[in-house]
Amino acid sequence: MLTREEAPSPGYSGKRRLDCVICVEMPQVRRLHQKHVMQVACALEAVVLRIFGPEGGQVLFTRENGHVMLSRSGTRILTALRLDHPLARMMVECVWKHSGQTGDGSKSFILLLASLLRTIYATGSKELNVSRVYNSREAAESASARRLADQTVAFALEELEDLIAVAVAPYGFSLSAKTLTASTQSASHSDRVHVEKLIASFFHTRLGFAHSDFMGELIFKLLLNWSCKNDKSSSSDNSRSFQGNLYVDSNGCQADSASLSLRFLNDNFHALHTPVSGFPVSSSRLIEGQVIHRDFATHDQDSRQDPVKAVVLTVSLQPKWLNASDTMEIGNGTHRKSIVHFSAWAECSLEHIFATLQALGVSVLLSAVKQSDAVLTLATQAQIRVVECIGEDELALFLHLSGASAVSDCWGIKPEHIASLTFCRSILLGAHRYVHVAFSDSREQQPCNIIICGLGEGQTDQYAGAVQDVIHMLRTTWEPQGIATKAPSSISPGCVIPAGGIFELLLHRALLQHGHSHAISKHTPVVRQVLADAILHLPRHVHSGNERHFLQIQSKVWSLPDRNPFQPDGLFCKPGFSQAHCGNKSSQGEAEQSMYCSLFNNNKTVSELESVSCKYHLILAVLHCVKNLLRLDAVLHTPTQLHPKSLQLTYSSEDED
Amino acid sequence: MQWPREEGDVTSSPRSSSNMSLNGEEEDLEWEPPTEAEMKVIQARRERQDQISKVMGEYLLKGYKMLAECCDVCGNILMQDRARRNYCVSCQELDSDVDKDNPALNAQAALSQVRERRLAAHSPAPSDPAHVNGDAGGAVPQPRPEHCEGAAAGGRAVAPAPSAPAPPTPPAAVATSPAPCRATPASAASLPATAPPVLRVAEEAVLSKMRWASGQLQSCASLESSIQLCQLISSCAASLRSLREISQ
Repeated sequence: MLTREEAPSPGYSGKRRLDCVICVEMPQVRRLHQKHVMQVACALEAVVLRIFGPEGGQVLFTRENGHVMLSRSGTRILTALRLDHPLARMMVECVWKHSGQTGDGSKSFILLLASLLRTIYATGSKELNVSRVYNSREAAESASARRLADQTVAFALEELEDLIAVAVAPYGFSLSAKTLTASTQSASHSDRVHVEKLIASFFHTRLGFAHSDFMGELIFKLLLNWSCKNDKSSSSDNSRSFQGNLYVDSNGCQADSASLSLRFLNDNFHALHTPVSGFPVSSSRLIEGQVIHRDFATHDQDSRQDPVKAVVLTVSLQPKWLNASDTMEIGNGTHRKSIVHFSAWAECSLEHIFATLQALGVSVLLSAVKQSDAVLTLATQAQIRVVECIGEDELALFLHLSGASAVSDCWGIKPEHIASLTFCRSILLGAHRYVHVAFSDSREQQPCNIIICGLGEGQTDQYAGAVQDVIHMLRTTWEPQGIATKAPSSISPGCVIPAGGIFELLLHRALLQHGHSHAISKHTPVVRQVLADAILHLPRHVHSGNERHFLQIQSKVWSLPDRNPFQPDGLFCKPGFSQAHCGNKSSQGEAEQSMYCSLFNNNKTVSELESVSCKYHLILAVLHCVKNLLRLDAVLHTPTQLHPKSLQLTYSSEDED
Repeated sequence: MQWPREEGDVTSSPRSSSNMSLNGEEEDLEWEPPTEAEMKVIQARRERQDQISKVMGEYLLKGYKMLAECCDVCGNILMQDRARRNYCVSCQELDSDVDKDNPALNAQAALSQVRERRLAAHSPAPSDPAHVNGDAGGAVPQPRPEHCEGAAAGGRAVAPAPSAPAPPTPPAAVATSPAPCRATPASAASLPATAPPVLRVAEEAVLSKMRWASGQLQSCASLESSIQLCQLISSCAASLRSLREISQ
């Protein structure tokens, strides 16, 4: 498999155009060696190690226009690096895709990638296949590494999930999704605390210790609000898309309302959050209703407290009769009309539309397009407020929440186009004035918008990105179906485990135990050893500043009761059997929770949590990336750019090329 | 003997096939535990690679660009700064690996390798460990990229060899030893017959490397490679001088 890269200059020979008719340009081919792959991976690893872990630093980005930004986000930093090497670009693109799906793990991705490559190469050089003949030892080692990577991927797809569900997940506990949906009475306090802690841990790794607890509480309130709303909106007379508490998606898997609301939040995040610069992060809050990120186009005379009726327009009320290069013939026929008559008639029709609107009691027009001056003037006269140029996603959200439908034909405004609002008024957030609406449904909970504050634009963007990523992460935690087989996952939804390398240490132990057992498995022990060795590097890096602490944690994990997933006869214990042991809300679950708490934390309080499902997906993504990297043989230099730059690089200057 | 091509083998370079010995390919493909000297070399190389990667990471964070090209000399990936100057981390910043570990250039490494062989063969070690100037082929750490351009313009602390037909040194090169040393014709003189065999082995290795470098220099078209080769030849000459001094 070849990968292409741009060359700085075309490699034409020195012949003049007049002399030769056909100038054949041979693309320059360079073989990829193990050394290059390792060097690229290790260089990226060195970048990530500077920002990884609780002691990691931040990177200061500077733009040519003087803007500066501090960031610890792995994805942002990696995509901002100037990388021309195709392998480096490929790795960063894999990181980008992975963090886009799960919201986190970009730094761990690179660290695990580098350590896997190292382990595979080291093991591959010892396990050469002598049955084939190769040109050189290097070719033999490459083939061996490739084979080992394929085997490791196969093992991960077939057995790793079950192994994690049986041997690692029981040491964590499951957070019920009902924590987000149920009312105060049924949800346990500890579950709420744990969900907040999970979110706070995410913010801690992403943005630092400051504000992580605050953001954890705020995001939890946001989820609670939206989940309650979705839960109660499952009535039969509802015209919206929720079909009850259980929703069957395209994979045939059931998703509960918490999962639905997370998806909803994720899809509509742009419309559901408002970034405000110039305030400290602790000023962030939730406000009821929806904030439309535009201001009124007409003068807001007095904000009425009455219930307000609004209509959404997707077209201009004054249609454009003439386009460029059109001709209109007036005055043909017996009546001999002139342009004056025509414009009077057009104005009359517009007045008629406004009369209809007034008769219906509409006082707010929300338009997707820019309305003409005549429309605005008539609206002001009719005391109807107009908001123009609203984004499609915001309008879609508005229609969804209000239950109305948009007006596409200005002559046919009907009652079903009217949305009832409790109020519709201006709101000043930071330096911008927006429109704030609240819906007057009979539901107990209102939709809410999260206002994310930051001291500067960069910090606000970071926090907004982190909030969106935490929603991704929560989705991955609670999403019921598996990725690989699209079958129900054996890892129970909502399974979390204490952070700080516990997952990796437990998995390392489980892989080695799996290797030593008499279980019938078609995968060689070498594969498990490779994965076990590679995965141990992550907790080492996490505790790199404190080796003693790492050893303490390691010895604690080693001393945990042996949950050998294998029954005495050597058969692998299927997850269905041990699901009952997972820490749910049963009393057994409570007992196990306290057991692990006492093991890992003397205070019986949880320090930091991470999602087991996200970790599993990270391992799979890294293995796929390694497999694709090891399949590359050569680099082909081409004079022209074959593909546009796919990544959105926010802080890199693409002035060259 | 024809070797079947592995699938996906786009180019075949003579160097890769020369690694494989024609006799006993089975022995080469079986993994044997490395000897102590090899372990040291492997460890040193690994540490060096880690160091290179760490430095590359630092440069990436400073805004350097990682290119898709490799250095002609050491094969490591090149970086490029904002002023579009190419920079090789290993050649211009770290000590050269070749000079330290390659017995052909470093008599100290040659001695230790011979000693290892003797220990492995259970033969008595030589009575007097010849003390050779190990810095003959070593290079001082190169100045930072902000001050120099190109791999060879860093100003190695090795005198240029006037005997070989060298191309003119670039004006940016910092000559730390302005006094030209007299290059002893390498091929003419040889060690006295009473010299211990270890020195003969070292001398032969140095001579063979010098011959190879001279051959390369004649066919070389790149300025930087030519400068590197000249410095290699002068290092070999210095090594030979040291060997002769010891034997006398």
